[in-house]
Amino acid sequence: MKTIVDLRNDLDNKVVTSDELFEKANKLAHKYQDEFNPFVTIIDEKIEEESNSILSGIPYAIKDNFSTKGILSTASSNILKDYVPVYDATAYKKLKEAGCVLVGKTVLDELAMGGTGTTGHTGIVRNPWNKNRQIGGSSAGSAAAVALGIVPFSLGSDTGDSIRKPAAFGGVVGFKPTYGRISRYGLFAFASSLDHVGCFTRCVRDAAIVTDILKGKDERDMTSLPDEKVKYVDMVDNDIKGKKLFYIKELTDLDLYKDAGEETLEVLRKFKETIEKCKNIGFEVEEVSFDEKLLKAIYPAYMTISCAEATSNNSNLTGIPFGPRGEGSNINEIMFDARTKGFSELIKRRFILGSYILQRENQERLFKNAGRLRRIIVDKMNELYKKYDAMILPASGGVAPTFDCEIDRMSPRYLMLENHMAIGNFGGFPSITIPNGFVSDMPIGINITGRCFEDGLTLNIANKIEEVLGFKGIVKEEYDV
Amino acid sequence: MITKEKLKDYAAKLMFDMDDEGYDRTLEEFETVEKHMALIGEIENIENIEPMTFPYVIYHADLREDVACDCLTNDEVLANAKETKANQVKVPKVVGE
Repeated sequence: MKTIVDLRNDLDNKVVTSDELFEKANKLAHKYQDEFNPFVTIIDEKIEEESNSILSGIPYAIKDNFSTKGILSTASSNILKDYVPVYDATAYKKLKEAGCVLVGKTVLDELAMGGTGTTGHTGIVRNPWNKNRQIGGSSAGSAAAVALGIVPFSLGSDTGDSIRKPAAFGGVVGFKPTYGRISRYGLFAFASSLDHVGCFTRCVRDAAIVTDILKGKDERDMTSLPDEKVKYVDMVDNDIKGKKLFYIKELTDLDLYKDAGEETLEVLRKFKETIEKCKNIGFEVEEVSFDEKLLKAIYPAYMTISCAEATSNNSNLTGIPFGPRGEGSNINEIMFDARTKGFSELIKRRFILGSYILQRENQERLFKNAGRLRRIIVDKMNELYKKYDAMILPASGGVAPTFDCEIDRMSPRYLMLENHMAIGNFGGFPSITIPNGFVSDMPIGINITGRCFEDGLTLNIANKIEEVLGFKGIVKEEYDV
Repeated sequence: MITKEKLKDYAAKLMFDMDDEGYDRTLEEFETVEKHMALIGEIENIENIEPMTFPYVIYHADLREDVACDCLTNDEVLANAKETKANQVKVPKVVGE
């Protein structure tokens, strides 16, 4: 399966043309659409701007919560089922200007509020490794498009782990850089203090290449960071000897998982093997203890903050200036009807939760306490980052779930191992998931989270670990064409 | 204690409604939600911590120069509205005929 670097070489050496690359990607998109459903919209006409960038002529896909002028952008929700934006998201604009070729807009969990890839209005996304399993979410279609070999990279968004979890389940690389590194202008907001733009690729080097193109200050996003004028792709091969990693005892100690299923145990055993491989290539790796009460509170804090922010962010969806118009004799009735018909029940439950959290009598106990928990965790991480260069953990407690798992409702069971990646969103830390082998014939991943603003070092660490693990570019044999 | 009536009230404030089964499922979910939220309250001395609303501290934010820049045309703004009139989005009259 070819990476961006491979395709660049092929284009430069005239082994292939960008027309041929697009035709092949378009053909594969149509071939796999019915079976796996990665796309809301497949683009059948090649649009390419002149550019001499490293990404010129390279096909890609983008999650359908990015504003793409003139192209349907639904956020996989009925309330935007006919919305055609009149402006471009900055990330999309940068890729156009770099000469990338859009193949399609990908399916997500509705309004990016989900982690299964099953709640989009055009149907569920199936895992390319096993059709009876989810690929996770919310960036489900973007993960699948790369895992299927349709495109070498795709864009996603990550608010709690929405790039990094489907990357693990799909056997691809998923990178979420530092908060603000890539402009969020034109990304439909879910939870603005947690939202990040990021990418899926076949290898860490490609993630560095894509991020180099996308990063930089944007006048339209005042939370965006100035470009440091470094290229991450020039940093990924730096020597890592002596770099320090840590992992959390309370999440990875096998003795604490006496009642766990065999899959979880196998994930943890493979993680321990990976730790040894890291040590063998020169990393110093230590186990640290992290208050279990804090770890258990991550998921509730994430749900509290994200539901509250989402309720506010989505109050503009009324069906008046855009979206399907509701019926009614006055403007209130029209908005009420549009929102009743346009949102799925799951989204409505999330919004009701958000409203509940923001009621005056609940703000202190729920909303502010979640913000306090966020600060405690971020402060603890920053304390650890004074000594260590990155945290390394399993990306998940198991493999991609089957579809008959409890998917729709908030589960009474909480698994700390399933939800730790929200730490990367709480503190805006650069965080990347890379493949770490297989359990039950399904891919698993490890997650590496670095210090804030040190995206280059985080990619460097991930690249060196990817090299020693030997799972770079894994793909199911039938897709490797 | 959360009741179905309160849930309906929250939904109404957010300008949507659900069917009865949806409210039942939401009510059931709230039991789990409250258990989860209680975990946050168990953190010692949490009330003494300043809530965090942004991933990190920004010591200064640049403001751009106060000069007009590109903005959407009227046609672009109205392109997705289902009913328009006289360059505006048309909605029912506020006061009756």
